[in-house]
Amino acid sequence: MEIAKLFNALPSAVSQGVIWGIMAIGVYITYRILDVADLTVDGSIATGGAVAAVLIIGGCNVWVAMIAAFLVGMLAGLATGLFHTFMGIPAILAGILTQLSLYSINLRILGGKANMAVSVNNYPLIVSARNARAMSLSNPFIILAALAVAVIALLYWFFGTERGCSLRATGANANMARAQGINTNADKVLGLMLSNGLVSFSGALLAQYQGFVDVGMGRGAIVIGLAAVIIGEVAFSKIFHNFALKLLAVVIGAILYYIVIQVVLWLGLNTNDLKMLQALVVAMFLAVPYWKNRYFKKKGDANHG
Amino acid sequence: MKKFATIALTLAMAATAACASATTVGICQLVQHEALDAATQGFKDALTEKMPDVKFDEQNAAGDAATCVTITSKFAADGVDLILANATAPLQAAVSATGDIPILGTSITDYATALGMKEWNGTTGINVSGTSDLAPLDGQAAMIQELFPDAKNVGLIYCSAEANSIYQITVIKGYLEEMGYTCTEFAFTDSNDVASVTQSAADASDVIYIPTDNTAAAYTETIANVVIPAKVPVVAGEEGICKGCGVATLTISYYDLGYKTGEMAYDILANGADVGTMEVASAPNFTKKYNAANVEALGLTIPADYVAIE
Repeated sequence: MEIAKLFNALPSAVSQGVIWGIMAIGVYITYRILDVADLTVDGSIATGGAVAAVLIIGGCNVWVAMIAAFLVGMLAGLATGLFHTFMGIPAILAGILTQLSLYSINLRILGGKANMAVSVNNYPLIVSARNARAMSLSNPFIILAALAVAVIALLYWFFGTERGCSLRATGANANMARAQGINTNADKVLGLMLSNGLVSFSGALLAQYQGFVDVGMGRGAIVIGLAAVIIGEVAFSKIFHNFALKLLAVVIGAILYYIVIQVVLWLGLNTNDLKMLQALVVAMFLAVPYWKNRYFKKKGDANHG
Repeated sequence: MKKFATIALTLAMAATAACASATTVGICQLVQHEALDAATQGFKDALTEKMPDVKFDEQNAAGDAATCVTITSKFAADGVDLILANATAPLQAAVSATGDIPILGTSITDYATALGMKEWNGTTGINVSGTSDLAPLDGQAAMIQELFPDAKNVGLIYCSAEANSIYQITVIKGYLEEMGYTCTEFAFTDSNDVASVTQSAADASDVIYIPTDNTAAAYTETIANVVIPAKVPVVAGEEGICKGCGVATLTISYYDLGYKTGEMAYDILANGADVGTMEVASAPNFTKKYNAANVEALGLTIPADYVAIE
């Protein structure tokens, strides 16, 4: 129970948090900007890991493998997008359908195996838990932080372009956007593709970091993504107004989530209770702003609210 | 007063010294599950017996492969003296988390596959060794032949998410086809399609084989509800599955497997054995067992050298 042990474990928690933060940015694009609940991510994160692992084992450059993971993730998003727009299936169901089929597709990508090792001992991985506490450039946090900043910068640029603005307009008010001559269906598909590309990209990072890919590794990913989005918003909504900062808040939210998990492990609580504690953490973050509004607002405000 | 202070100080120092010298073993288990629990218990019993002051930091990933690396990174940061990785994903996560701390695996079917090694000579050469839960698949194929010589079609049921099952199915299929059986694979995804996949397997098969499959082990009741009314016997890869829905099995004891791993851990911690040159060990012994209730329900006769599962 020494506090030093907790601090020792934090670097790994932070690195893991950044990986899931990139994934959570993907969730933010669908959930907040596009206003669509997309459940494809549980499948596409494993897809990214599978594509990257297979390519790296096949002798491909790690960066190329990660870009390939991003592109295949976009295909998954395209599938969900077409289910939703072209076939008229409600978004949440469309995501579930793609997620289901991705299970089979991921098995195909892995050549019928459910689990594949991609160990830092054998391949030149760019991030690995092995170096989480290394005091050198090989520390995964450096590359991960740089990647997160690059992703945020690219998205900041993209959502400022005409296309990006129309995508945001689609999410804000689809009817109004359509009245302005925006092809909202195309924007929804594009948003889903972008989102799942990022999720898949983070899956490629996760597979390297943990040293394996497993068809079950995306189970519950959407919960972690949503938790990161919500924690980030609750913690920083007062001070972060700029769009890039809001994306940064999502990454920090994911880091906070993993620090909480690390604290739970450090406290030595029974890990059988871990899932319940995760749920309670998210519930608390959701409840705090509500309570603040309801019980701690000045009288005058309450009358209007 | 001074004397009291001296005593207190001595006690405190003794306590600190005891803390510093105590050996800590981190245990990362993939999921709460009868066989894995038994392996962990066997490991702890063996090690506690030989090193009474050993401490365990026992963590369970609750089935989330991605949580394993959180746990093993914590062990690496704590600087534990040894890591027990119970199942494949924890082993891979432990290898990612540390290249120095000795890692022992248990309940791992095939180390070469789990670690992605191209060549295999019995040892890993890195900071990994442990025990394999590979059931004697040739023996299990022989058991099917012994009990059901007239059967033609063997259905192989397993969960497509489990690397270990896919490996076993591939191997035993080879043995069975050599014996002249026709094998068909029936893979299910999760609890939702167990019943329907089992139904189609029961319709198409004279006898069904289920390997050491963690997911199948969790849904034996569902499987039993299909195969017993359909009068199709199941030969299982391990005792837990046989107890739920099977008629017979050639089984290893996961407790013994864990116990054996515990003895290896003692060798490393107390005698300074090098984990990289330690041979990966298999289960110490196998037992032919049968499920009396299901045998009776299906009207089968079982040879005398089989032991009834309690």
